[in-house]
Amino acid sequence: MNVRYLSGFRVLLSSFVLALPFSAQGQSAMQRVRLKNEVVVATDATYPPFEYVENGKVIGFDVDLGAEIGKEIGISFRFQSLEWAGVLGSLESGKADLVMSGVTITQERKQKGYLFSRPYFLSGQTIARRKGDTRIAHLSDLKDKVASVQQETTGQIALEKAGVPKDHILKFDQLQDGLTDVQNRKSDAAVADLPALTRILKRSFPDLELVGGVEVSENVGIVAWKGETELIARVNKALERIMADGRYAAIHAKWIEERLPLSTLAGLEKVKGDGSPVSEIGSDNQVAPPTLGAVSSPLSSRLTVSEILKPLVRGASLTLQLTFYTLLFGVPVGLIVALMRMSVIKPISLIASVYVEIIRGTPLLMQIYVIYFVLPSIHINLNAFISGVLALSLNAAAYISEIFRAGIESIDSGQMEAAKALGMDYRTAMRYVILPQTVRRILPPMTNEAVSLLKDTSLVSVVALAEIMRVGKELATNSGEPTRIYLTIAVVYLVLTLPLTMLTRFLEQKWKPVSRG
Amino acid sequence: MQFPSLSPSDSALDSVLSVQDLRKSFGSNEVLKGINLNVKEGEVIAMIGASGSGKSTLLRCINRLETPTSGEIRYRNQPVSNDNVTKLRREIGMVFQRFHLFPHLTVLQNLTLAPLKVLHKTQTEMHTRAMELLERVQLAEKANAFPGELSGGQQQRVAIARALALSPSVLLFDEPTSALDPELVGEVLGVMRDLASEGRTMIVATHEMGFAREAAHRVIFLHAGQIHEEGTPSQVLENPQQPRTREFLARVLNR
Repeated sequence: MNVRYLSGFRVLLSSFVLALPFSAQGQSAMQRVRLKNEVVVATDATYPPFEYVENGKVIGFDVDLGAEIGKEIGISFRFQSLEWAGVLGSLESGKADLVMSGVTITQERKQKGYLFSRPYFLSGQTIARRKGDTRIAHLSDLKDKVASVQQETTGQIALEKAGVPKDHILKFDQLQDGLTDVQNRKSDAAVADLPALTRILKRSFPDLELVGGVEVSENVGIVAWKGETELIARVNKALERIMADGRYAAIHAKWIEERLPLSTLAGLEKVKGDGSPVSEIGSDNQVAPPTLGAVSSPLSSRLTVSEILKPLVRGASLTLQLTFYTLLFGVPVGLIVALMRMSVIKPISLIASVYVEIIRGTPLLMQIYVIYFVLPSIHINLNAFISGVLALSLNAAAYISEIFRAGIESIDSGQMEAAKALGMDYRTAMRYVILPQTVRRILPPMTNEAVSLLKDTSLVSVVALAEIMRVGKELATNSGEPTRIYLTIAVVYLVLTLPLTMLTRFLEQKWKPVSRG
Repeated sequence: MQFPSLSPSDSALDSVLSVQDLRKSFGSNEVLKGINLNVKEGEVIAMIGASGSGKSTLLRCINRLETPTSGEIRYRNQPVSNDNVTKLRREIGMVFQRFHLFPHLTVLQNLTLAPLKVLHKTQTEMHTRAMELLERVQLAEKANAFPGELSGGQQQRVAIARALALSPSVLLFDEPTSALDPELVGEVLGVMRDLASEGRTMIVATHEMGFAREAAHRVIFLHAGQIHEEGTPSQVLENPQQPRTREFLARVLNR
């Protein structure tokens, strides 16, 4: 199902966390839950039918199940949607108490310290192909073909285990992208878990079909960070009751569109209170594949314009706020860093150089991770918006400082000399003579920076900020018409960036007579 | 006016400006090799010499746009140092070869900026004063123009007015007409002649021998970083004693 294995990046971050002298968490999840009287559940809501966004709300199988568990425990569950890449990390940093995101239970994952509930869903990997492409019936048929997967998922693992060469496996951020690739004949088949594929194919990919039959079966569980045995015990108790009294079957019937494969429930019933799964990837003890209900014809449910625009406008507003605050802090900090870097006092210019080199030399995504997920381990726990603005500002400031530096250095040295000869000190000369000219001159590169910053804000979706790109992805996963959604997003971005470029042009015109001589 | 040439030690006390054994090197290149100079109140000194003889460097050392390698500069008997130079620069104005007007400010703002920010004068006070100065350089009608809209000669006149706005005691001119088209030189020299005749203390690095002859009290010939010859304009320009001076004058006058 969804992503199971630590990517190299997360391993790197984990070791960073381990190297810090403090414990990774100030409070246990149980303490936090008692304090806030709610359970924060991290999820990547682009995974129908388990979790996806409709009308601005996260809904799905996991959400309904979580609500029932909450009722049993007596504490409400709040779902927070973020990019998969940030989902599991939010447990480690204490930003979330549980993860319900269709996470497969694996031995490797347990060794990493994640604690799983008893399995609550039996799923399996299956193959989607173009209609009538009978060359493909089993995973082994893909050995000499090209297959798409969502990266770091058990679909990828299944292909690798089936002996498909790594360079024949295309890894996409989202399952939908992989399916589009198959549809566009760039790859031959996609491998992913059955419920998600069934649902997505129905809604969005009429030209694709499921091969039928499950290639690898796997168990899905709720995840907590290590040591949260009390929380997991409570969740398990609740799950057992919900499964026993029919509520589980009702939720299953509601969300899983094919007829409930009896073996799924049977598989679950085999599991007793110790939480050990029936089967795991790599174990020999696999459950017989559940049979697959007939896939019905695609639903036609075009979203209305307002259904698309409303959430996008909300997302755009967050994008604008992020951009605004980032520039508000990034520009002054950038100026200060530029002045520090030009300082004749060596240690000061060294500090500024090191800052600029570190920021420029590392990816923005990494910086966002560190601020949101790693800082809590030294007891600096910032909310998502502040983390996002902080990371973006620190990043933008480094680039802006270089723009300022180049701009200041491009001003004729005679200007500073004339100002000094008139009795001005460095500050006064900078403020009234050098910087006003610099600002006029750096307007074009600054506009560039602002526009690319506006677009870079999409990276903060890993810390659960629903800016426009994230909102768009969530919409696209459920709409069945990703093309229309993505084109709309492109237009919204244009609408956001055009005023910036127009303002620049206006100011350049206004200052034209001044820049001569 | 005649200024008898005195030895430095005698005249240093009543000088506005005195330079003692000033040396300046850029890397291994020694540009000034021990300059001694005393400037009296109201004195106009024309400094001549070939390019690279050190004229500019001497002027820039006086108001510390360059830091001297060794030697001392005194303004009204007070040593000029990095600590007090910002204050002293209000007293020692400078006009540059390439004007260096502030292109983002109007002519009027160019004149008022430093008095407003450095002397903390009021806007109305400075406006009146700036307009007076612009009248004097005959550019009152350009008060609201930007420097980029003016000719070179007009720009240099604005630059002179800008230097005057702080009411300095001494004015340093670093080849003020060298960047001008020949037909624009006259208007700038006219303004400078007026200033000289008003008794303002001026040190002018120049290639304009006519100005040196008519407006200066003393002419200094700089050669290879040293004062090679000095005296009244008639002494230096009409009856030079040193072969180097004669060579230089022959070159500039016959061009």
